Amino acid sequence: MDEDQSGGGPVTPSVSEARLSSVLGTAVDGIVVMDHQARIILFNTACEKLFGYTADEVRGQNVKILMPEDFALAHDRFVSNYLTTGEKRIIGIGREVRGKHRDGREFPIELSVGEAVTPEGRQFIGIMRDISARKAVEQRLAQAQAQLVSMTRISALDEMGAAIAHELNQPLTAIMLYLQAAKRQASSGSGADSKLVEIVDKGVNEAERASKIIQRMRRFVEKREPERRAVSVAPLIRECLELVTLGNACDGVAFSIDVEDDLPQISADPVQVQQVLVNLIRNALEAVRAVEDKRVSVSAGVRERDMIVRVSDSGGGVPAELVPNLFKAFSGSKKKGLGLGLAISRSIAQNHGGDLAVEQAGSKGGAAFVLRLPLYAVSASADVQGAGQEMEGSSE
Amino acid sequence: MTVHIVEDDPGVGDALALLLQQIGHEVVVHPDAESLFEDPPPAAQDTVIVDLGLPGVSGVQVIRWLSRLKASPKIIAISGQPRKAIEKMLGDDQPAILLRKPLTEEAIIRHL
Repeated sequence: MDEDQSGGGPVTPSVSEARLSSVLGTAVDGIVVMDHQARIILFNTACEKLFGYTADEVRGQNVKILMPEDFALAHDRFVSNYLTTGEKRIIGIGREVRGKHRDGREFPIELSVGEAVTPEGRQFIGIMRDISARKAVEQRLAQAQAQLVSMTRISALDEMGAAIAHELNQPLTAIMLYLQAAKRQASSGSGADSKLVEIVDKGVNEAERASKIIQRMRRFVEKREPERRAVSVAPLIRECLELVTLGNACDGVAFSIDVEDDLPQISADPVQVQQVLVNLIRNALEAVRAVEDKRVSVSAGVRERDMIVRVSDSGGGVPAELVPNLFKAFSGSKKKGLGLGLAISRSIAQNHGGDLAVEQAGSKGGAAFVLRLPLYAVSASADVQGAGQEMEGSSE
Repeated sequence: MTVHIVEDDPGVGDALALLLQQIGHEVVVHPDAESLFEDPPPAAQDTVIVDLGLPGVSGVQVIRWLSRLKASPKIIAISGQPRKAIEKMLGDDQPAILLRKPLTEEAIIRHL
């Protein structure tokens, strides 16, 4: 290092040193030179900025102080392995590693290592570039891509939903009409069969239920304005609880409803609000499944110009790290389903001019989901589709 | 009066015909627009139920043709398509009555 061998004529050491120190000081990249025992001989200005040490502080120290522990542990082995076998792992190759700042912060660096045989023995030159910024960009890009993928999935799902709704509509229409014809047949004439009429009636009801599901699905994928009408919250909540408890094992779960007296009606799409509440109550049930004290409560009250419906449980609560993404599609930690429930629920609330938020219930533990719906419609949306299944051409 | 059904889905066409016959209507089912055109045109007191998504000559064209007849029959359009698709198909040719599938007896009878 002391001699400039590439130059033309003989150069005095002082000139060479001056030139070297100028090069080192000017370099944007961090440059470290170490000896065969991994002791730092040289530490340039960029390195001082990068790692927060001055050259004087680190001179003579093992280069390991610049590395996170896991790297540092292996480093001695790498060096001695190279010195004995000559097998190159990093020299002339370069790779991404992590550096450790004086304050303990780790950051990604791109490291290339060269070797010089000098009169003082073998020396290694490391050139380092901080790639945190590049990494951050890469990470943002990856996030954006992931988001795009899930958006594409959602829109694919929309299209699929519309296609399925259409395909199912045909046979369902036929089934309903056949059943209604069968009912007429069975109830007409002398040989009226009341048992058969009853059975067919049940069939009609089920087909109608399926058709309502399709209508709801279609309404969802068509993104139309919610069908608003005056809705009483108390009976709606009771209906939701019934719905959920019918289809789920809820042994040992204590349900409570706490609804203020004389609640005003709200202007909302009852089917959609019910969808939100059923989803929230189901989640609450799931949350208390594994705990000893199983309580699910639903309360409703008026706060200023909003109706506040709170669904709380005595479960484990929502882990803080899940909260930021809780309402995003496909972020669900559940094994079942797509993790769309809360995303859809929130978008329904927002379509109504309200919102859906999560609260930790405090000392009692558990989570509380708070559905806020304005008492008065925010945007008066004309009811595009009258009774639901038909669309009178002239009105549209 | 006669109810003409132009519907390519055999299940829907047959079920609709069966139901309407039970109510006491005379029913003719056409699987496509072409077969409707082959027969004498519907009379003014008739009703034509047209599926919008027909193969070949579309339901929209059938509606246009029917409404330009001298004595045009009552037209009921039916469709299982999404609303946006229906709007796009129809453009300015809005039929007086448009029912979306799944159909119910009640909805149809109301308009007959």
